[in-house]
Amino acid sequence: MTTLLEVSGVSVTFDGFRAINNLSIAIGEPELRAVIGPNGAGKTTFMDIVTGKTRPDEGKVLWGERSVDLLKYSESQIAKMGIGRKFQKPTVFEDQSVRDNLAMALKNKRGPFSVLMWQASAQDEARIVELAEEVGLSERLEDSAGILSHGQKQWLEIGMLLAQDPRLLLVDEPAAGMTPGEREHTTDLLKRAARTRAVMVIEHDMEFIRRLDCRVTCLHEGSVLAEGSLDHVTRNQQVIDVYLGR
Amino acid sequence: MSLDIPRNTAAPAPSRRSFLHENPSVLWFMGLLGVFTVAVTVLSEGFGLGLISTNLVKVLGMTLCLCLIAIAMDVVWGYCGILSLGHFAFFGLGGYAIGMWLMYARTEIVIRDSLGRGTIPPTELEVSEAVAAQIFGVVGSSELPLIWTFAGSLPFQLAMVVLVPGVLALVFGWLAFRSRVTGVYLSILTQAMTLALSLYLFQNDTGLRGNNGLSGLQNIPGFLHVPQSVLSVWFFWASAFMLGAGYLLFAWVVSGKFGSVIRAIRDNEARVRFLGYNVEGYKLFVFTVTAVISGIAGALYYPQAGIINPAEIAPIASIYLAVWVAIGGRGRLYGAVIGAAFVSLLSSWLTGGGAPNIDLGFYRIVWTDWWLVLLGLGFVAVTLFFPKGIGGLFDYLVRKKP
Repeated sequence: MTTLLEVSGVSVTFDGFRAINNLSIAIGEPELRAVIGPNGAGKTTFMDIVTGKTRPDEGKVLWGERSVDLLKYSESQIAKMGIGRKFQKPTVFEDQSVRDNLAMALKNKRGPFSVLMWQASAQDEARIVELAEEVGLSERLEDSAGILSHGQKQWLEIGMLLAQDPRLLLVDEPAAGMTPGEREHTTDLLKRAARTRAVMVIEHDMEFIRRLDCRVTCLHEGSVLAEGSLDHVTRNQQVIDVYLGR
Repeated sequence: MSLDIPRNTAAPAPSRRSFLHENPSVLWFMGLLGVFTVAVTVLSEGFGLGLISTNLVKVLGMTLCLCLIAIAMDVVWGYCGILSLGHFAFFGLGGYAIGMWLMYARTEIVIRDSLGRGTIPPTELEVSEAVAAQIFGVVGSSELPLIWTFAGSLPFQLAMVVLVPGVLALVFGWLAFRSRVTGVYLSILTQAMTLALSLYLFQNDTGLRGNNGLSGLQNIPGFLHVPQSVLSVWFFWASAFMLGAGYLLFAWVVSGKFGSVIRAIRDNEARVRFLGYNVEGYKLFVFTVTAVISGIAGALYYPQAGIINPAEIAPIASIYLAVWVAIGGRGRLYGAVIGAAFVSLLSSWLTGGGAPNIDLGFYRIVWTDWWLVLLGLGFVAVTLFFPKGIGGLFDYLVRKKP
């Protein structure tokens, strides 16, 4: 396992509030990592920084074998380097079909001219069918994404994430609003994805994290409070005080 | 949904159907446009029965040009979500570009004709000076401004029809989109652009005859002997052809993955960025291509109108454009065509004295005064009650299919 993403000494302040405070965190490839922590701990802001949405005041975000400094790149460039992101609220393009949503996410050239000339190859079509099967939407390919259930939208978004074929997946609360059955399916999906890639999951549901069976990082007030196995982290007195105990 | 029949999930991709097959509205539109063109030709004074006056042929031809800029507006606003309130600036620039050639070349012919009657043939300098004096006398100048240097060249001015709007849109769009100006702020910015351009052109020393504008554009150099009844039909054909070509181009652009991406940008541009698409590049592409098409539409419109002046690109024109598209129905090309044709024809009927005024006894409704009120009410009603516009009615026709 080699280090894929290394965040070191990052701080960011919003109107005097330190959302991220000298945060250092690294993830290898392949690896599955759960990120927990109370509200306002900086979990989502951390993802914003990695994906280029928020610029930190200080610190470094290094990516890949050649340690590229991600802070110099735009959201779309970072996404093209291989970082995919799923938002807390499922954001799929509701007035377009499941097929179109997946086709847009497929790993193909992204420039306006290549997209204008794009014709789905047999390979692309096969990949779309395969992805739809993986996220359990095979029968809904031609339906518009807007009529899917909440859980199905979450899966479609995970499917779009997989279609991008990223090296690092950042997944923000994937199980929110899902039924127990759907949660199980989601756990399987993430674990399978993490066999070949780095996957970081923000989640509040401890049961869900237990099933992921992976290394856990607990954030608090913008920096790492504890890191290790789930048992190790949950036994940590500070973690109990600020997060679990409440 | 039938639950028992297992669907073949591993089925091969649906056979790649042709573009026209997937977009039946394009065929319908082309067919109707063709029928309309033939009908107008047959009924025209120049080529047929003479039931449609030359003036009306011109109005219809101009309406087709307005439909062309309306579909451009629909692509930039209805599909890509950029509410540009400045696209008429590009329309006007296209008109000015072709107008310069029309005016210069025709004046040159007239001058050569009159100077040639003398015993000594005129030198090129004399001709050029006489042309300049003729065109710019009205703004108290007799020198040919620098931008008119190649006004005598039709290929050059035709290139300007495309290049001037294109380059302006490219530079303006690059600055605006790069700074991530969106929504109402972008609308205000585009509005400011067209206002600034209009105010600039109103000045006498800008080289485009200030508020006089360019006139006599209905006379086409080289075809001065051809009667307007025939010329009007030629321009009508050209307008119909360009509308058809533009429709085909835009229908192709918005279908497929490109259309998918720009609609996604309209709905949630941040998400599109995280998919790895350079949103600004797409916006710039759409903004510039629609600006170029608007310029072409303007270049066909003003020779039929006969005159162009800076008032044409005042902000109100671009606002009307947005109103047409909203009334016709955003996000569908035929909606934009319906909106532009319906509203602009209704406008010329009501304000051109075609509609009888209504005497209510206690009050007399004079349509020239009340038309704008009617349009405003119509716009509000469509926005509130029929957000899909007139084009939305077609959904009822299509929905019957299984």
